[in-house]
Amino acid sequence: MNNPSDVNSFIFNAEIDSNYLHSLYGDDYIYLHEVFATVLNDYESLTDNIEFNYSSGNLNALKAAVHKIKPVFGFVGMTAVQQECQHFEDLCGTVASPEILNRDFEALKNKMFQSKLVIEEEMKKLEIFNSQSA
Amino acid sequence: MIISCIIVEDLQVAANYLTNCCEKSGSVEVKGHFSNVPDALSFLNNHTVDLIFLDVEMPGANGFELLDQIAFSPKVILTTSKTEYAYNAFQYNVSDYLMKPFTYQRFVEALQKIQPSKETISTNSASDHIYIKTDGKLIRLNNDAILYIESMGDYVKFVTNDNKKYITHNTIKNLEEKVSKDHFLKVHRSYIVNLHKIDDMRENLLFIKGNEIPVSKANKADVFRRLNIV
Repeated sequence: MNNPSDVNSFIFNAEIDSNYLHSLYGDDYIYLHEVFATVLNDYESLTDNIEFNYSSGNLNALKAAVHKIKPVFGFVGMTAVQQECQHFEDLCGTVASPEILNRDFEALKNKMFQSKLVIEEEMKKLEIFNSQSA
Repeated sequence: MIISCIIVEDLQVAANYLTNCCEKSGSVEVKGHFSNVPDALSFLNNHTVDLIFLDVEMPGANGFELLDQIAFSPKVILTTSKTEYAYNAFQYNVSDYLMKPFTYQRFVEALQKIQPSKETISTNSASDHIYIKTDGKLIRLNNDAILYIESMGDYVKFVTNDNKKYITHNTIKNLEEKVSKDHFLKVHRSYIVNLHKIDDMRENLLFIKGNEIPVSKANKADVFRRLNIV
């Protein structure tokens, strides 16, 4: 991992747990930019998979799809969203069909959409920050 | 010592992060990253590695299915957060779990767990006995007294002909190299048996004094070679 010299002035979005990110990546903002880019690259297929399994009524597959995206939020420091995914996974284990989770699913879907905007914004900020630090 | 590994993980960000951790450690060489079980299996049919970082929930096939099909017993570190895999993990001699995302420090701790314990056993393959360290003392076990050795994760259990069980910190892989080849044979990733103690064999099971020991497909040919079949 790289170590840019100017490392202490980056301000993360309030949705992001900066201490948690620091525990994972230290002050390596170049690598962090790579992480955000990789996450965005896979984001659509992960969320599409969740939507597909919800629409097809496959509860186990829906649970597995949410489980799959869950750590992604951890990798970008969105630990609260990660916990929401865990909560939804737990709910999947308590019901007989996905329709019962309609409200929870809509809330999660909205959260994932909002999260993507945050990740995109942070990636742009990191790109600028890293270019200025170079 | 450099540990060779593969990463079986379909989440790209997790695979990249793990690769970084391996590089940073300076002690783990990543031989490949595979995003599905068939590709990993195809690689492992032609290569051996010391360690597999394995995600369990993979598209198409469960990560444990990979372990069922390979012909050797690498160390395994699971990269999953599901505790419901604990039983399988025990069966498959999994060394540790890493809950994604994990810190580098946690990664290093997992690596430390896969280093074989060199201090808990003393023997050489020509000897008629071994010493094992258990309950704070060294105990001598004659080869003839040992029925079989069973993996218990980071520990192994020696079962003797007087029905005693001795548990010590070690691995089947490490013991396989250290016990007498005249007496012992690994028949499964979790079992080494005393060949002189086998009562009978049916299908993929060996029976030793009433104990059922599974024989893996990969080891079955070796077992037949070593048994004195007339």
